[in-house]
Amino acid sequence: MIHAVKHHPALELLEQYIEASLAPELSLAIAAHLDLCPHCQRIKMDLEAEAGTALASLPEEQAAETEWQQMLDFITAQPEVVAQMQQRQPFALQIQNSEILVPASLKPLLHNKLKWLNLGGISTAKLAGEDQHNVSLLYIRKDSEVPQHTHLGLEITLVLKGKIYDESGCYGEGDLLINTPDHTHTPRTMSEDCLCLSVLTAPLKFKKGLTRLLNPLQHLFY
Amino acid sequence: MLDPTSVQRHDGSTYQRPSIQGSMSVQPQDNAQWEQALTFIAVDRDKQAYSQLFSYFAPRLKAFGLKMFGNEQQAMEMVQDTMLNVWQKARLFDASRGCASTWIFTIARNVRFDMLRKKQSRKDELSADDLFFDGDYPEQEGTDSNEWDLWLLAEKVAPHFAKLPPAQRDVMEKVYLEEKSHQEVSEELAIPLGTVKSRIRLALDRLREAIDDPRS
Repeated sequence: MIHAVKHHPALELLEQYIEASLAPELSLAIAAHLDLCPHCQRIKMDLEAEAGTALASLPEEQAAETEWQQMLDFITAQPEVVAQMQQRQPFALQIQNSEILVPASLKPLLHNKLKWLNLGGISTAKLAGEDQHNVSLLYIRKDSEVPQHTHLGLEITLVLKGKIYDESGCYGEGDLLINTPDHTHTPRTMSEDCLCLSVLTAPLKFKKGLTRLLNPLQHLFY
Repeated sequence: MLDPTSVQRHDGSTYQRPSIQGSMSVQPQDNAQWEQALTFIAVDRDKQAYSQLFSYFAPRLKAFGLKMFGNEQQAMEMVQDTMLNVWQKARLFDASRGCASTWIFTIARNVRFDMLRKKQSRKDELSADDLFFDGDYPEQEGTDSNEWDLWLLAEKVAPHFAKLPPAQRDVMEKVYLEEKSHQEVSEELAIPLGTVKSRIRLALDRLREAIDDPRS
């Protein structure tokens, strides 16, 4: 993980992340990016410091004196909780006969055996997702292309291993690609396999010729 | 470019962060005092120190909760859970990692997230403690670079410089135009050294975004 991360979330997205205003699945992608990106780890702490100062600068919103007193008495009657500072270590995941280190953020979603669906050079395994949002791992074998598609919602892709290329450039470990409904792209791999985390807020829509036939199959990607 | 309107706020909140640029009501000595209170609570279970911290933060947390939830009952629930965590886990506060107000903000944020999650009765494993990790990340190879110093000389930065939030611009001007050290700026503006560094990083990030392909 020494690769210098080049593609970061926009500040606005990080701001919404640290306020917990983002959908949790999007927050997960940001959290996994943070695991890989010391630059954004510092920005996160800076933004939290700003938010803390903002909180401490808010005008008071009073309640009845007795209400505060009751709350205070209740709290100070409670025992101390022995809590440990958490550790954050990447962990090894068996994928396609090789062991890949993935960010600690994903650990809570990876205790079940992964069910892979394969299509051409691409395999996907769903990690979580209800109604609107979908979180999955995407394993793209070398020299493969994901058919050109647009996005009905937001697509966040985090490269966990290997490299992926699209019309806007090359993305390596820790890089975050964010695609909104106005983007069309054709991601592909070159000389190495690539593992990505993918978070979608709506199904993909495939654009071209025969691949349009994939649209009914887009649940593979969603 | 990520259009902010395309990112749904899952909580429907309309919270706008109050500007901290103009009326800086929190002074460095306030934070020092809160840090001291947290230490007394951690070491001695000091109820008096806690009570002072409570009387400052509880009404402000309530204001924060009202903005976030839009209702009094949930706001007060958030205040109680947050202040309970402060009492019970004061030992986890580490002044070397951030201010007391930062720590209390992160607790309130996590409490609020878990309350929303519970309300939606989501059973999946996304909990605030995992999503908003607050411990130390493992050490990685340093990627801190000074390439930005060069960028700042470039003319293309100038038009964006003026658009920085005033607090960040002040610090940037002193460091990059007046060539003062971070320590000097800290003393001159009477703000902690960490805040000087943090404003510089945020300003650099804003400039980078303004100049770069917004996606990169």
